[in-house]
Amino acid sequence: MSVSLGGSAAIVGIGQTEFSKAAGRSETQLAGEAIVAALSDAGLTTDDVDGFVSYTIDPVEETELVRALGTPEVRWSSRVPYGGGGSQGVLLHAAAAVAGGAARVVVAYRAIKARSGSRFGRAQVSPRPTSAHSGSTASQWCSPFGVLTPASWMALNATRYMHTYGVTSADFGRAVVQLRDYAATNPNAHFYGTRITLDDHQSSRWIAEPAIRLFDCCQETDGAVALVVTTADRARDTPAPVIVAAAATAGLFEEEIASNHYRPNLEVMEGSVALAAQLFGSGIARSDIDVAMIYDAFSPILLMQLEALGFCGFGEAKDFIADGNLAPGGGLPCNTNGGLIGEGYIHGLNLTVEAVRQLRGVAVNQLDDPSTALVTASRTGVILQRPL
Amino acid sequence: MCPECHSVEHEVVELAGTGTVYSYAILHHPQHPAFSYPVVAVLVDLDEGIRVVSNLVGVEPPEVRIGAPVRVMFQATADGLTVPVFEPAGPT
Repeated sequence: MSVSLGGSAAIVGIGQTEFSKAAGRSETQLAGEAIVAALSDAGLTTDDVDGFVSYTIDPVEETELVRALGTPEVRWSSRVPYGGGGSQGVLLHAAAAVAGGAARVVVAYRAIKARSGSRFGRAQVSPRPTSAHSGSTASQWCSPFGVLTPASWMALNATRYMHTYGVTSADFGRAVVQLRDYAATNPNAHFYGTRITLDDHQSSRWIAEPAIRLFDCCQETDGAVALVVTTADRARDTPAPVIVAAAATAGLFEEEIASNHYRPNLEVMEGSVALAAQLFGSGIARSDIDVAMIYDAFSPILLMQLEALGFCGFGEAKDFIADGNLAPGGGLPCNTNGGLIGEGYIHGLNLTVEAVRQLRGVAVNQLDDPSTALVTASRTGVILQRPL
Repeated sequence: MCPECHSVEHEVVELAGTGTVYSYAILHHPQHPAFSYPVVAVLVDLDEGIRVVSNLVGVEPPEVRIGAPVRVMFQATADGLTVPVFEPAGPT
């Protein structure tokens, strides 16, 4: 987002369904439930909504959603390309829409049945639909070789990262132990009440050796979340607004969405480097970030993003984590809901909801008075701030 | 379309079929009946400068190494087709 847009939009409502392994209802219904909850949270109604944004991979049709909600007139809608790496792009789209006057109240949502419906972790050789803009066109070059899942796509990058910087599976494990600590005290988390040790992590079975064990993987989850975005001016009349201080997306040439195998240096998440240049070019410094929510579909990309975003040097995330920086009293408390690995995988957008809760002071693992939160998902990100 | 010059012309060029392992992953789960596990997936940097996703065959999984020289071979796959996979090549 350009600096001129920074701070002109706000998140005024958050909502979600329960997170489960079997929702027992359609994604459209899940989206509707989360949106109604988010609007109620904002003190608004479906009559106030005139914009929608989700990801291209989301199965909910706007027309059906609008019919369900009873929204009188949609003035603006958009979709961010593909899946979770685009998740925070919905905030850029929504903020740009309200700041530019294209819409007044935009709902960002993601509804998913990643466990009872189409599982990301299932071996499928038939190509996933490319016409639905799922970002999987490049998978035709992977599936003939048994590279069938996001874990197998990302393990190729992660192995290179381990090789370049001397990172081990135990280094990933230390991050996972921290995430599971946060999840253990989050009743909304799949892993509520179940901490693990590093030994537990190291004895969990291989998914894609030497990078990804079972406990390095996010939880395939059913559920939906929604966030309501409006102008900063209008947000003043709502109960608990959070300012969108900066939002950005960075889609680099030949950086594919999940199966990013063709850029020269895969040990660095270059999309996150470009993202950080935008986000931290807006007058907000890394040292201003009180809490970070970083897309952890698999634990290696948590370390790789910490480095690419500039919170530590390249190859140093393992030490940054071992020093306790991601913990509540650390230098960068991170994924305080347990992350996608500990809480569940609503494709990244549940991380944004947690950031809002932290800034409102109502998170289950509430930090001490945070005022600035960062949420990133590879090539998309947002900085949120509590109003002055 | 060529992203450099936007030409839509193309021709088939024969490559040497040699390269080095850029990265790898030994795939254990999930398992699909079309493959025998563990699958050794590799990214190979071909000597001509192109990177491809493929498999490394003829090597025990613990012996896979980044930087190892490899050469192409063609292996039968489903529907009577063949796919290019790689096997270890001695140092040249």
